[in-house]
Amino acid sequence: MAQVIDDFARTIQLDELWSDPYPIYRTLRENQPVAWVPAANRYLLTRHSDIAYLEKHPEIFSAAETHSLMIRVMGLTMLRQDGADHLRERKAAEPALRPRMVKQRWTPAFQRIADELIDGFRDRGEADLFTEFAAPMAAKCLAAVLGLADVPAQDLQTWSQAMMDGTGNYADDPVVWQRAESAARGVERAVDAAIERLSAHPDDSVISAMLHAEDPLTPRQIRDNIKLFIGGGLNEPRDATTVGTYALLTHPEQRARVEADPSRFKDVFEETVRWVAPIGMYPRQTTMETELGGTVLPAGAKLGIVLASANRDESVFDNPDTFDIDRTGRVHLAFGGGPHFCLGTWTARAQVGAVALPTLFRRLPGLRLSGAEPVRWGGWVFRGLLNLPARWDV
Amino acid sequence: MPKIVYVQPDGTETALDVDAGTTVMRAALAAGVQGIVAECGGNAMCATCHVYTDPSDSDRLPAVGDDEDEMLDCTAGAREDGSRLSCQLPITEAMEGLAVRVPREQV
Ligand code: HEM
Repeated sequence: MAQVIDDFARTIQLDELWSDPYPIYRTLRENQPVAWVPAANRYLLTRHSDIAYLEKHPEIFSAAETHSLMIRVMGLTMLRQDGADHLRERKAAEPALRPRMVKQRWTPAFQRIADELIDGFRDRGEADLFTEFAAPMAAKCLAAVLGLADVPAQDLQTWSQAMMDGTGNYADDPVVWQRAESAARGVERAVDAAIERLSAHPDDSVISAMLHAEDPLTPRQIRDNIKLFIGGGLNEPRDATTVGTYALLTHPEQRARVEADPSRFKDVFEETVRWVAPIGMYPRQTTMETELGGTVLPAGAKLGIVLASANRDESVFDNPDTFDIDRTGRVHLAFGGGPHFCLGTWTARAQVGAVALPTLFRRLPGLRLSGAEPVRWGGWVFRGLLNLPARWDV
Repeated sequence: MPKIVYVQPDGTETALDVDAGTTVMRAALAAGVQGIVAECGGNAMCATCHVYTDPSDSDRLPAVGDDEDEMLDCTAGAREDGSRLSCQLPITEAMEGLAVRVPREQV
């Protein structure tokens, strides 16, 4: 039996994970919750309980991965450090991202961004809401929060994609490296211009917070951490926006209740990121030999923490594959946990749950899938819709 | 080693002897007390380690800080007079016998 299970983990292919990882995760959760998966070159952790344990023990499960492609692309960011060094960089950015700041300062800006984008295509009666709404909305909101409001949304999107492709460039493709490097240089130039402006005139942005913190970050630390924000703060709200919209469009009964009581968009957001976690997997590395889920992990073992699977764990969520906004009291892990708990949690809740989703449904009456082409899904490290062709009444 | 008592919504109590220096949140996690989720691990960023203290205990607890006050407006269970984030309550000898109620809703 053990042999058969071992064979299953060995047969997993990355392209299968990319097209639909969920059946594979179910088998792993049942049979081998901590499994060496050669195709991923990592042990994959798939149970909610093991991941919740890991997130409470950063001293055993380090974020400072060796030979990290993220460090190669972005330099040393807060997300690849532990302990006091990590906390110092995180705390410097935090004032710009705390809930009160998000509510008072950023939410009104997010609302203007959403309305302007919708003004641009509403009369047409149809649009691909991925390219025309979710992606530019995520980029413009991020630009505002970071202190890069004058950087074109398209540049941020291009940089973000190029850097993320670099962090996943295990195939060592030279073209991918080249694009990632030029994206990193682009970010550095934009950040340097912002530093010059914000040094003399502080504002509420992340870059300004880092510059004027009690223990300020160096220009290099600011540049590298802003690469992390751009690489990791754009796809996720974009994907939560398209997936949340799609979920309501395909669950008319829940949609009707949410439209009747817009305060429920909050629940739509949380259930969306549970159902399809935008960050499906993040890496960690053991600092010592340890046992987890019945598997002995050697020191230095590379792990893939599969949040997408934890969020569908049947021992925690009833009917885990079903989209259901009425779930209560169950902890999804879409924002991670422990010291690296998503720093953008409150921003994401505001831009997607409080602004993007309610505004789309309010301003586009009769919103529906266009049917002209099928919606497509993809990804496992990051997962979401690749398009969202829609129509509405004009 | 002060004793801290965690009271569940159904009245069940867990009494823990806790080292000074840790926090009410960490002690609960280490002992697996139900209902203390603590997603952010003590950063005062998630509001999922909310507990109710008795307002009469306020003078043996540190004052509510700005970050904590802000997060207490984001809790799943309603905020009350004695609402605290347990990650912001370092254990001291003065807290001997402190009782904290765990809210019905934490997320
Ligand atoms: C729905 C949207 C989002 C989801 C699901 C999400 C998810 C996550 C997760 C799972 C982590 C932990 C990764 C790890 O531990 O390896 C993380 C970290 C992080 N996120 Fe998000 N994120 C979202 C939006 C954002 C946004 C909008 C921003 C920026 C404004 C952001 C900034 C960050 C940063 C800076 C970190 C690193 C924190 C640290 O290392 O201490 N995220 N996010």
